[in-house]
Amino acid sequence: MKPVNFDYARPKDVAGVLPLIADDSRTVKIMAGGQSLGPMLNMRLVQPDLVVDITGIEELRQVVETPDAIVMGGCITHADIEDRRVPDMTRGALPAVAGGIAYRAVRNRGTIGGSITHADPSADWISILSALGATVTLRGPGGSRSVAVEDYMLGALEADLRPGEMLVSVSVPKLSVSARWGYYKSCRKTGEFAHAIGAFLVDPERGVSRAVFGATESRPIVIADARQLLGEGTATEPGRDFDSRLAGELVEAGGMSDPIDRQTHVVALRRAIQQAGSA
Amino acid sequence: MSMIHLTINGKPVDAACEPRTHLADFLRETNNLTGTHLGCEHGVCGACTILVDGVPTRSCITFAAACEGASVTTVEGLDDDDITSELRTAFSREHGLQCGYCTPGMLVSARDVVLRMDAPSEHDIRVAMSGNLCRCTGYVGIVRAIQGVIADRRARGIAAVAGGGRTRLGPAGSGNASTAKEAAGASKAAAVAAVKPAGQPRTAARKDDNWKPQTTFEQSFTVAHPTDVVWDFFGRVDEVAACLPGASLNGAPEGGPGGDEHVEGQIKVKVGPISAEFHGAADITRDEATRTGVIDGTGKDKRSNSATRGQIRYAVKEAETPGETRVDVAIGFTLSGVLAQFSRSGLVQDVANRLIGVFVQNLEARLAHQAGGGDADSAPVAAEFNAGSLMSSVIVGQVKQFFARLFRRG
Repeated sequence: MKPVNFDYARPKDVAGVLPLIADDSRTVKIMAGGQSLGPMLNMRLVQPDLVVDITGIEELRQVVETPDAIVMGGCITHADIEDRRVPDMTRGALPAVAGGIAYRAVRNRGTIGGSITHADPSADWISILSALGATVTLRGPGGSRSVAVEDYMLGALEADLRPGEMLVSVSVPKLSVSARWGYYKSCRKTGEFAHAIGAFLVDPERGVSRAVFGATESRPIVIADARQLLGEGTATEPGRDFDSRLAGELVEAGGMSDPIDRQTHVVALRRAIQQAGSA
Repeated sequence: MSMIHLTINGKPVDAACEPRTHLADFLRETNNLTGTHLGCEHGVCGACTILVDGVPTRSCITFAAACEGASVTTVEGLDDDDITSELRTAFSREHGLQCGYCTPGMLVSARDVVLRMDAPSEHDIRVAMSGNLCRCTGYVGIVRAIQGVIADRRARGIAAVAGGGRTRLGPAGSGNASTAKEAAGASKAAAVAAVKPAGQPRTAARKDDNWKPQTTFEQSFTVAHPTDVVWDFFGRVDEVAACLPGASLNGAPEGGPGGDEHVEGQIKVKVGPISAEFHGAADITRDEATRTGVIDGTGKDKRSNSATRGQIRYAVKEAETPGETRVDVAIGFTLSGVLAQFSRSGLVQDVANRLIGVFVQNLEARLAHQAGGGDADSAPVAAEFNAGSLMSSVIVGQVKQFFARLFRRG
């Protein structure tokens, strides 16, 4: 249970990272909090020649507020969000989800950028951030580009990073005062990887209604206009008009063949929508 | 090796340390602080939990070098800590420990709960402590001890401290250090033993009728070529292997074309940061009458010390559209060793689906090339399966099916 003997670098800025990860002649791995990479290194599933520690980079540990978004550096931790050291503009969605990630000792080091880039389908950030319509900003030799969170994830453990590129920040839109959200994950044991995730956002002022089936075996299934799932949206009881049959078809179309899996995901989303209604 | 500087239990420490040394080993091996226990060593059991810059951290998955300049407190440094003193008394009173292996981590996490949470319910405490595993006493006494200390402190007017008093952003332990220029690990073995697959003795793929795979799944795809052509193509093992990204054979298949065949080879798979190369053997049987085939294979990845055994059944038949061929594939496999410890079957299936997607693309390209009169060897194929660089034709197909169905729903 000891990692291979890798080299180590801790650059002071992003410009110092890019030449290191552009080196094709050896296996280079970026490490932020290391809470997913650490176990994989200890088990020697990952055997890099060089580990580039990006936690010394001030820019990645900063939070910037713009008129319509909160922009977090990639090395902001789950605990930073849970404890609201990062101002919450999501009506409690991000702090609530952060508090349910793994365990406190992991949240004190695990980062939002690391989690998204690791692209584990069962991880929380991918699902809730897809529901909130967040984007990530990547920087590489060709400059910067921004990608929606759900597009950044290509599949299990694969993020859309071009050679020499890294994630620098995550931008989460500010929600309106009337926005409501719901998040439900199905775990048999606290802190374990979720078997199914449902995430939902309705923000009438901004004309947004999004639903996400997360913890699939690949990318999250994002329903960009969730009104189709809610009937006409006239029901007085939240979640009552939820179209389970259509939800089931949407997850099936997303590639989920097992009926029990499909049912678990449909129920997770229904509970998330109910939670949004009762909030 | 490079020098690192930490403040451990209030004392400055400078010591040499490899980049790969995690904090727990640095404390135990270099500093003789054996109060920090290692259980699972991959961040699951919580025995190694210590305080880094005042907040709980898993020391087995936190590298010492990444905490340069940080302040570290182990269970030895909590002798005079108010909360921990009260917890020790309460653990003793409530029988909160038996063998004591989990206790250092329990105390550190319990201290955090007492410090941060104002009036947690028993359920809240159990959730907050769920990252620390105890395998002998159970949690009743531990939870009671924590409840007792919280009730007592709140009664004495001591309020909870939100966030445990942390004000800085970023991973615990980070942000104290200046830049580290690239530091090398200890001298590495330069020569990597060359693998000579050709010299290895032939291995059978061990037929075992009682073997049952742990994971099974089915997949179908359609190829725009006639059934006869596709069936013949599947009989040419070397060409099939060439379509499978990352796969290569050691020499020609043994046995006659059409009859039972035996092949040996390897397949390289890269998923995120993980890469594996399975070396193994496969036995292939084909049935002309039903146009079905069975491939039984076993393989080993030396690097991760993992093994796999699998069976692929395929059936080739005419598709709904004349001139096209539908191939049904049923895959069953068992994975053992380190990769299995990590893997969740769903992830393997996603990778397999994407692998099949690329296989189909390559197969189409090859068949089209041959139909156009090109020879087998010059057909273009992907060299190695890298899940990140490829979009899945399978998923695209499923989305198309969905829209087709929606349309019909009208």
